[in-house]
Amino acid sequence: MVTRINVGPIHPSTHGVLRLVVDVDGDTIQSVEPHVGFLHRGVEKLVENRMYMQSPTYMEKLDYIAPLAYDEAYVAAVEAAQGAEVKERAQYIRVILLELQRVASHLLWLGTLANDIGNFFTLFMWCFRDRDLVLRLLEDVSGSRMFYVNMRIGGLKSDIPAGFEEKTLEVVSYLEKRIPEYEKFLEKNPVFLERMKKVGVLKRDAAIELGVTGPVLRGSGIGWDTRKDKPYYVYDKLHFSPQIRDEGDCFARYKVRMLEIKESLRMVRYAVKLLPGGDAIGLPIKLIMPAAKNRISKVSRETPRGEALMYLVADPQRPYRLAIRAPAFINLFALSELCKGERFADMFAILGSLDVVMADVDR
Amino acid sequence: MVKLKIEKNDLHAKLKELKKDGYSYLVKITAVDYVKYLTVIYIIRDLKKNAEQELEVDIDASDSSISTVMDIYRAADWYEREMQEMFGIEVKGRRAGRLLLEKWNGKAAPLKKNFEWGADYET
Repeated sequence: MVTRINVGPIHPSTHGVLRLVVDVDGDTIQSVEPHVGFLHRGVEKLVENRMYMQSPTYMEKLDYIAPLAYDEAYVAAVEAAQGAEVKERAQYIRVILLELQRVASHLLWLGTLANDIGNFFTLFMWCFRDRDLVLRLLEDVSGSRMFYVNMRIGGLKSDIPAGFEEKTLEVVSYLEKRIPEYEKFLEKNPVFLERMKKVGVLKRDAAIELGVTGPVLRGSGIGWDTRKDKPYYVYDKLHFSPQIRDEGDCFARYKVRMLEIKESLRMVRYAVKLLPGGDAIGLPIKLIMPAAKNRISKVSRETPRGEALMYLVADPQRPYRLAIRAPAFINLFALSELCKGERFADMFAILGSLDVVMADVDR
Repeated sequence: MVKLKIEKNDLHAKLKELKKDGYSYLVKITAVDYVKYLTVIYIIRDLKKNAEQELEVDIDASDSSISTVMDIYRAADWYEREMQEMFGIEVKGRRAGRLLLEKWNGKAAPLKKNFEWGADYET
């Protein structure tokens, strides 16, 4: 007999306002239908009615766990439309900030995932403590703890302050010691392994067919990473390699993100070492470089959640149209396929392993 | 990156052919309203060869409909639903379903240029 269970819209494990209508037969899931749109604010329309540099603040609210990633993706799209070059020092600083942001985002994900599957609060507290160290670094640069709006056309709002390099290296060394500890903490835990391994398996072909992106795609054995395959800024100088696992289960997705944290920390350390001198400040906000009418720019960026694509049709003063390909949107689409035939309780492990942000899904 | 402008009727055959060639990953379906006509954009990718194709289909504003590509790309499902609600483009060949993001029951197409700010679209 099929029973219909309603989960959400407000539920601690849905990480936002997400409603799931689940049909179960006993404890086995027959189908899941995600109801989204509760957080729809119409950002794509709002952007059309504002000057170019009034919009980054909206972009940051799209993904409030990794605001800088969206901020940068939008500004890069505007730069491409206006034909602006990014200063070399600014490129390095952007990469450092983006990778720090990725670490912060993955740490938050790790803490909440552990919460979801029964390791209540121990890891959550540790991850939040460590994430705060990273946020403090970002605050030192931009002056704000969460929403930075630190990107300007051609560079940054503010250069890194004195002593930032040493502080960053200190945090990186600290995290490089902590991350293996967290891995040990989780991977020696039979409950964690039982709930993650062979749960929510996404095969290679299905991953392509469903169009999933980011760590979900790489967890299914496909090594697509925008930083490697469509390199931007100085990623090619940092010897970046994408992290891949073949199993395609929740554990693989977990492992990919853990490896990504380590890779990001390594890149931050390297980029700080290579950081060139010079100027990194971009154009002031009020100075507008008019873009050509109907010029289309398309920019792909690897945010912590996956590939974000900004499709911008430019007008001289403001965007004519901005289409955003939200990584969380398409990863959530895969949820119903992943949950078929799994246990009801495993749905939250699977949802946690997809790392969705509802603001990003609904836009 | 290759950009192709194609006719509405050729879309299906072209996408099928490209998928056979290895363009099996759908990146995004979206649309742009140029007032007189709408352009629907399909971005597809070959992950192995790292190649990307962009297909553009112009459709008339007075008869804005396009056939679904869900039978070729399963990932098209939510993108098409989103486009349907945001631009009022009728996607043919789809089962009528619940609205995904909007709650305006198809009475407003917010991303079209003729959308009125502050107008009272019934919920």
